[in-house]
Parts: sequence; structure tokens; C-alpha cells
Amino acid sequence: MQKCTACNLPETYETIEFDENGVCNICRQKEFKDEKIDWQRRAEMLSRVIEKHRGKYEYDCILPFSGGKDSTYTLWYLVKHYKIRPLVVQFNHGFMRDTLMENNRRTFKKLGVDVISFTPNWKLVKRLMLETLVRKGDFCWHCHTGIFAYPMHIALKYQVPLIFWGEPSSEYTAYYNYEDDEIEQVDETRFNRFINLGITAEDMYSMIKDDYQCDPRELTPYTYPKLRDLKKLKYQSVCLGSYIPWDVKENTKIIQQELGWRGDQVEGMPWDEYSYEKIECSMQGMRDYIKYLKRGYSRVSQMTALDLRNGRIAKEYADKLIADYEGRKPPSLTLFLEYLGISEDQFNHIVAKTVVPPFKPDFEGMEYAPKTDDFDRWYREDEQDRGIIFKNPV
Amino acid sequence: MIGILNIGLGNVQSVYNAVYENGYDPIFVSKPEELEQLTHFIMPGVGNFSAVMHSLEQLKLVPAIQALIARGVPTLGICLGMQLLATSGEEGGLCKGFDAIAAKVKAIPNSNNLRVPHVGWNEVKFTQEHPVFADIKDTRDFYFVHSYHMECLSGDNIIATTDYGSDLVCVAGNKNVIGVQFHPEKSQKNGMQLLENFCEWDGEFHA
Repeated sequence: MQKCTACNLPETYETIEFDENGVCNICRQKEFKDEKIDWQRRAEMLSRVIEKHRGKYEYDCILPFSGGKDSTYTLWYLVKHYKIRPLVVQFNHGFMRDTLMENNRRTFKKLGVDVISFTPNWKLVKRLMLETLVRKGDFCWHCHTGIFAYPMHIALKYQVPLIFWGEPSSEYTAYYNYEDDEIEQVDETRFNRFINLGITAEDMYSMIKDDYQCDPRELTPYTYPKLRDLKKLKYQSVCLGSYIPWDVKENTKIIQQELGWRGDQVEGMPWDEYSYEKIECSMQGMRDYIKYLKRGYSRVSQMTALDLRNGRIAKEYADKLIADYEGRKPPSLTLFLEYLGISEDQFNHIVAKTVVPPFKPDFEGMEYAPKTDDFDRWYREDEQDRGIIFKNPV
Repeated sequence: MIGILNIGLGNVQSVYNAVYENGYDPIFVSKPEELEQLTHFIMPGVGNFSAVMHSLEQLKLVPAIQALIARGVPTLGICLGMQLLATSGEEGGLCKGFDAIAAKVKAIPNSNNLRVPHVGWNEVKFTQEHPVFADIKDTRDFYFVHSYHMECLSGDNIIATTDYGSDLVCVAGNKNVIGVQFHPEKSQKNGMQLLENFCEWDGEFHA
């Protein structure tokens, strides 16, 4: 596989393109971000956005919050620097881990904020996971659509037009581009472009209704609200990282110092090196594993790519981390299969159909990654709840 | 109240829908007295310059629209609606327009072997800033369908041009009046932004 000569990302990476020097467009975006964007002007824009909305509604903004490093930093930054009054909205996808929940409690108390937490129907979540795994080789539809759509419903319910997200997508992909010098809008266009895998909630209902007892209203948290309603609210849904230069490592240091935020072990990752990334989901190892099977790289490559772009590690060291850690099975595979009620063979068969060439996965040749400290505390279903309750068992 | 002129010529529903989706509650207007309550006025247009002006005269809408423009109500002309804002038009025989913009409407010159009507997406290049184009970048594509174009007598009224063999004026404005030759209601994201900007516009513009 061709890889970026600067950051190592392979040709199977979403939206990647290489220039004549073999350097990828995402590295070029980073150069543009550092050298060409007028961050002083962006900071002034941020102040204007905040002052435009301050004090006019029950809350100054809606702040979607997972408790990971990005949303925690966003919350800290806006409360600390702008004394903003947010309504924190948490979409609990069903896999939040102990350390994360402790982080959340501490953060909310230290910052003194109001919080709404929403947890969707677990049985439906399992059915949604299976459907998108089969169709797209990506079981996270329920989480990603819920995280991005549900806070918009809350914005409408509370009539709060400003919605603040954290990291802009240009940090990782080129669906949006720093070079375009646009403020990325976290709107339905973006939602349809790379969040919902081309499956709307209405599509999803049609896909599952014949075999799964489901009321269409159960899909509401996954629908994007009507454009007219959002426009009527004069909504503005933006990323803090569009206004201030985003630096994950620096941001993490700050929330560790200021909020006592703690990292965690994530399956398949070098724990000492990257303890701060994607700690919010106990199925992260599975997501990374599927990514590896489909595309021949996992999160290790993404993290070392970020560090290489920032000149923080040597190429040899990045290569070593990738060689040592990628392509290993997460212990959570067992739990994942139990939740969905499928065998590993069935799982491999499903994923094999979604592999992105030229990568060819070796399903048989992979060893297990070590268990995380909290692995034994992750949710386990008893015999009667395992798998999905179909109308007519298949 | 945002009013959309509807005198039964052409499909104005797409303009209505685009304004509605932007969160506003527009109304269709077709009688002189209905123009009195408007805060914003949109004049969409499909058809023939002189025929439409004739219809407007019969409906006694010409003085009502002139009065509305004179009151400073933000007014947007789309396609033929833009052309009607000019001093005169040649389509269907020389005919007077609203003279809100000092300009003549003429047939697109057929000198460059380009097809007329000009149909499709084309770049809009700004020659000056205008509040109705806030947050819309230069050289973005909009959707065009037209055989005639506006020739402004003063560059002060030209807001943007598009290249179709030569630079054709595609956005023209004067005080509280703005005309766009393309169809914002069919131009997706940028068109939606334009209509939203117009609905928020206070009518102030100085070249």
C-alpha cells in the first residue's frame, strides 16, 4: 500500500490524496493551518459569535459532551475564558467506561454546569449495530448519528441557537479543508456527508422493521431535525477548533492540570504513549480492529500521523509503534459477538465484504491484544439477553 | 412579512419553499394592497419582459411596486425579476422597466458560438461586496437559465459578473434593490444562504 511519506497514512485512508512528493493532503492542510490561517482574526470571530448569543436564552450554548479530551477541553475553555453558560448534552451510547464517568462527574462539579444525559434503548442499539455492521462494516452508526443529531433536538427544545463542538474534522480528514478557510458548520450537510454512512434514521427504520419490533418514534434521537426548525432558531453549530488552533496534546495537558482529567487504557493502543485518545467507549478496540481489517491501519497509525505532522516523534519510532501494536484482536471481540449474537466466523464473513483494496486482511493470523484494567467490569449480558430479539428468530 | 410576487407566470413555488425552509413564513402577493404590509419583497421571474410588464400594468402592480421600492423595502429580483428592475428591456419589443437600476436588458450576444439560452451552473465573480452575499465566497457556482442579460450604465450598480463568452452582469444593485440573474432557489447551499441573507437585509447598500 502507498503511504504518505510524511505521516505514514495509507492510501486506504478516507479522503486521502498524495502529491508529487508522496505527501498527503491532510499533512498539507496542517501546513496551511499553521502558516496561512489568521488565528487572531478567528479569535475575534469567536468572541463575536459568543457575544451575539450571550444572555439571550436559558443557556448561552448547547455543548455536546462525551467526556473525552476534546469535549472536555471545549467545555473547560469556554467556561474558563468566556464565562459562558452552557447546557452540556451527553449522548450515552451505552459503552461509557468507569474512568470516563469519574472524569465527567469531576469536570461537571469543578466547572459548575447543568447537564442532560440521554441513553437510548440498548436493545435497539444492538439491532442498529448489527444492521450497519452488515451493510457498511461499521457498527457505530447509532453512536455517531446520535451524538451529532440528539444535541440538535435539545437545541430546539430549549431554543438555544448556538451549538459548540470541539475538534474540527479537518484535523483528520479532507471532507472539510483548512485550506478552504471556511468555518466548518456542523450541520445536516456534514451529517449526511460523513456521519450517517448514507443511512438516515428513516432508512434505518425501513431496514429493521420487518424483523425487529420497533416503533418509528424510537429512531427520533437519530434523526436530524428539520432544516426549517433549525433555521427558524437561527442556529449556529460550529467547532471551537475552527476558531483556535487545535492541539490535542496541549489541550490534554491543560485538562489534566485544571480538571484532574485522567486517561485510560484503550485496547490495541500503546498505553504509555497514547492514554488520552478515545477513552470514552469500551468498544473502541473493536472499532479500531474493524478499521484494521478493512483498511490495513488502525488508530495507532492515526495517532502517530498526528505526532509526525507536529514533529513530535521520529519516523522510526512511529514505524515501531505501528509494527508492534497494529493488527491485533481486541479482547472485547468476545463481548461484541455476544451483544450481537453472532459468531466470529459470521463476523469475519461480514467484514470481509467491506475490505478496501488493495489491503487484504489475514483473519487467521492475528493475536490478541492485552486486556485493559477495567475489562472485567464491562457490561456483560446473561444468557437470556444475549444477541438481538428478532420477531422471528433467524 | 416577506412577500413573493405571484401573478400566475412561471413556477414560484420553489422560491417559496426555499424561503420557507430558511425558517421564514413568506406569503404570495398578487394585489397592490398586499404589498403595503411587506418588509421584504421578492420578484421571481419566468417569461417575456414586455409581456410580464404588461400583465403587471393590467393588475395595477406597477405603481404599487414602484411605491414599495421608493419606501426602501428590500427588494430582490430573480432572473426576469432582476431584468424588470432595469430602465428598459428589448425582449418582446422595447419596453420600460421599473428603472430601479439604470440599465438596459439585451439579448445575450451570440458571437462566441455559445448556446443561448445560457443554461447551467456558472461562477459568480464579485466586483464589490453586498450584504446579501455575506458568507458566500467569491467564484462559487449558481444555476442560470436566461437568454437576455442586463447592461448597467454605471459600474456602481454591478455587484457580480459571470463569464459566458464575455463578462455578463449577473448581480446588480442600487440602494434597497438587488437583482440576481441566476436562480438562488435552485443553487443549493449558496442559494439558500443568499435568500437567508436577503430576508435579514435591512435594505442598506452604498456602492
